[in-house]
Amino acid sequence: MVAAELIVTDLAFGLMLGCVFSVVAHGLNIIWGVVKVVNIAHGEFIMLGAYGAYFLNLFAGLTPLETAPVDAAIGLLVGYAFYYAFLHRELRNTETITLQSEMVTLAATFGLSLFISNLAIILFTGNPVGVNYSPGTLQFGYLHVPIAALYVAILSVLIITGTWLFLERTLIGSTIRAYAQDVTATELVGANPAKVASLATALGFAVTMAGGALLTVWIPVGINPLMGALYAPISFVIVVLGGPGKMWGSLVGGLTLGVVIDVVQAFTTVEIAYAAAFLILIPVLVFRPEGLLKR
Amino acid sequence: MIGKPGLTLYGLFIVMALLAAAALLLGVAVSSILVLLLVYAALAYSINFITGMIGYVDFGHVLFMAIGSYVLATLVSYYGANPLLGVGLGALLGLVFALGIGLVILRFRGVYFAITTVVLVLAAYNIVLQFPQLGAGGEIIVNLKFQPLATYFTIWTIVLIEIVLTYYVNRSRIGFGIRAIKNNEDAASSIGVSPRTLKLTGYMLGGLFGGAGGAVYAWSISGVTAGPAFDFTFSLLMLAMIIIGGVGTSIGPLLGAVVVYIPSYFLLTTVAQAQPLIIGLLVIIMALFLPDGIVGLLRRSNEHLRLVLE
Amino acid sequence: MPILQASNISKNFGGVQALKDVSFDLPESAVLGLIGPNGSGKSTLLNIIAGLEKPTSGIVKLDSKRIDNLQANRVVGYGLAKTHQIPKPFSNMTARENVAVAVLYGRRNINSPSLALQEAERILSLVGMRSRNDASAGSLTVQEKKRLEFARAIATGASVLLLDEVFAGLSPEELKDSIQLFRKLHEELHFSALVVEHVMRAVLNLSHKVIVLEEGHVIATGTPDEVVHNERVIEAYLGSKKSAA
Repeated sequence: MVAAELIVTDLAFGLMLGCVFSVVAHGLNIIWGVVKVVNIAHGEFIMLGAYGAYFLNLFAGLTPLETAPVDAAIGLLVGYAFYYAFLHRELRNTETITLQSEMVTLAATFGLSLFISNLAIILFTGNPVGVNYSPGTLQFGYLHVPIAALYVAILSVLIITGTWLFLERTLIGSTIRAYAQDVTATELVGANPAKVASLATALGFAVTMAGGALLTVWIPVGINPLMGALYAPISFVIVVLGGPGKMWGSLVGGLTLGVVIDVVQAFTTVEIAYAAAFLILIPVLVFRPEGLLKR
Repeated sequence: MIGKPGLTLYGLFIVMALLAAAALLLGVAVSSILVLLLVYAALAYSINFITGMIGYVDFGHVLFMAIGSYVLATLVSYYGANPLLGVGLGALLGLVFALGIGLVILRFRGVYFAITTVVLVLAAYNIVLQFPQLGAGGEIIVNLKFQPLATYFTIWTIVLIEIVLTYYVNRSRIGFGIRAIKNNEDAASSIGVSPRTLKLTGYMLGGLFGGAGGAVYAWSISGVTAGPAFDFTFSLLMLAMIIIGGVGTSIGPLLGAVVVYIPSYFLLTTVAQAQPLIIGLLVIIMALFLPDGIVGLLRRSNEHLRLVLE
Repeated sequence: MPILQASNISKNFGGVQALKDVSFDLPESAVLGLIGPNGSGKSTLLNIIAGLEKPTSGIVKLDSKRIDNLQANRVVGYGLAKTHQIPKPFSNMTARENVAVAVLYGRRNINSPSLALQEAERILSLVGMRSRNDASAGSLTVQEKKRLEFARAIATGASVLLLDEVFAGLSPEELKDSIQLFRKLHEELHFSALVVEHVMRAVLNLSHKVIVLEEGHVIATGTPDEVVHNERVIEAYLGSKKSAA
């Protein structure tokens, strides 16, 4: 292949990968933006979503695309549980997270992260598994695009668009957005803050677990209990890149990261590519802490 | 300084004396168990400087441990250096890295700081994998004759220094500044405290002693491997120890080390995976219900204890 | 020589002109009131003087030394301290410890915590909070927290205090007490003060001179009496006859 063709291929794959990364990070973005809490255990829920896809494929023959909604439903329940277990107490009477509360949720979710991943090692064993889903490739000239990746990318964008529409165009969604801006004001207009916050959290978890399912298409032999340790930081970087709370930021951050990883990987090793992707965080935080998106 | 040393310092000295006696009198079996306890304690005191005292959650603290481990391992296995040199240099490099990194990332607050430390560990891990000189993912074996007492008293000395340092920092003018920063960084600078200087100092102390602890760790397990060296489980352990013991206190890290280590030593023989599981659970419970740890609980329960426990 | 001098301070926030060419002098031991409708730039001006923000142009001199290019904590070392509109106590420390931090890190050159704690006690007595010495700052009432802010600012040894709405949100009783306390402390300590206020009773009672900001520039200066009767000022607060119609 000629250099130009290589670049285009890398770009195409980077973009498709980026779409999946976006949806994987999107749940974190929602929770961070609305409830102002960063769930350190985010990666573990991605992992659970991925295992969901694996088991549903193994026992029910479902494809990752079909698993996604199932995972999303489970995610809703898990999200509610998480809210009431971890966040309700801290958020109940305060307008914003105090510093002490921030340390507490950071520490608690860190503990949760290692608890879940080690529990997963015991339950699922450490052996990496994968989902069998290969509906073939499409050919556009010299570009060979795996259909699975394409479907997943499209679905990812749909999910992000869907949540955007929900937040912008529905009453409940607007209430959530209002809560994100000013909790007290939301109370004053009659909304119950706990209901709003728990819904937002549930939504975030739903998207996260669905993202985990979709991610499996890209890691045919990579589903393992410790995968959260890779995808959580990726999600954090994506959210920071796009700007926490900005819904399209997930897409901007995700695509940027996907392209960076794929392109850098073409020139060096995969490890350096990931290292580079992670380290982007620092200059962004130094020079443009509000994220790459304007507004 | 505020007055003469209190009961806490004497109490800690007594515990350290007992630990020294145990190693000298009870033989190698006991000292090899206790050496790891002291390594844990050293690491707990090191993260206490930046996270316990200043309140900046350093998830990536394992980075300094890894630096210390690699320095000792490479110096001893490639250059046949004396392990004490490895410890010294490991500590120094930890300090230097903390300075360089701290200058850039300490300006980030709260979550952003915490996440950045995670990112740095992952990046460092990926970079280390590239270098065959650093084992490229494999193990660097440290071939030393077994010197249990040398290892033991090296880490014992390190912990003793940390205890004294922690104790005096807490009681000094610097301690007031640090607590002010932890409570409200902006308010602190509005009355003359320089957050930059104090944060950097705390982070550097964390790097110094984290590196020292990591070096001794590699010495005691005779090697270093990339995967385990950069394992976040260590960060969890360090965080757990200070949360359980009592963040920022002088007693907390040692107490936390005992609570975390003793059971895990026995658990190690049953289910290996149970340790992080239980520690994780403990951290969740402590963080949510007892954020100031055992020391905090004791201080709140009794007026006398409040005055005595630090 | 005025102890605090601001010359031609301007501040631009990417298109929004928060301050335009603001100048004033604060003579030693004087109290200068700074008033103006919401959004007139008072807080921005305070932040710039205190070192929390940099002016786009202009100079601030404290005791003839330039401070506009210094960080907030260094400005304290030169003798200027600002309180916060919404009090920011060190919640997990006692009131006495709160003030002790200020004693240790101000320009007093007291480095011993035990001496600092003693001095903190003395200052808390001055502001009438002796009984709350050992209370945790987080448990104080709003008025007490405001007094704590004030105590901390004094404790740094500052000769110039920037007071950001210290009289806001007080009941009439509390207001009377606070004004009396301020007067007493001013007589004893002779500090110079720039007081930003919305509570007119306080400003007019305590200030020697008042400057009025509107939309970033100074529209009037003078004694409290002069300013209150100034048509331009009245218009600024009530809106012009045209817009009211």
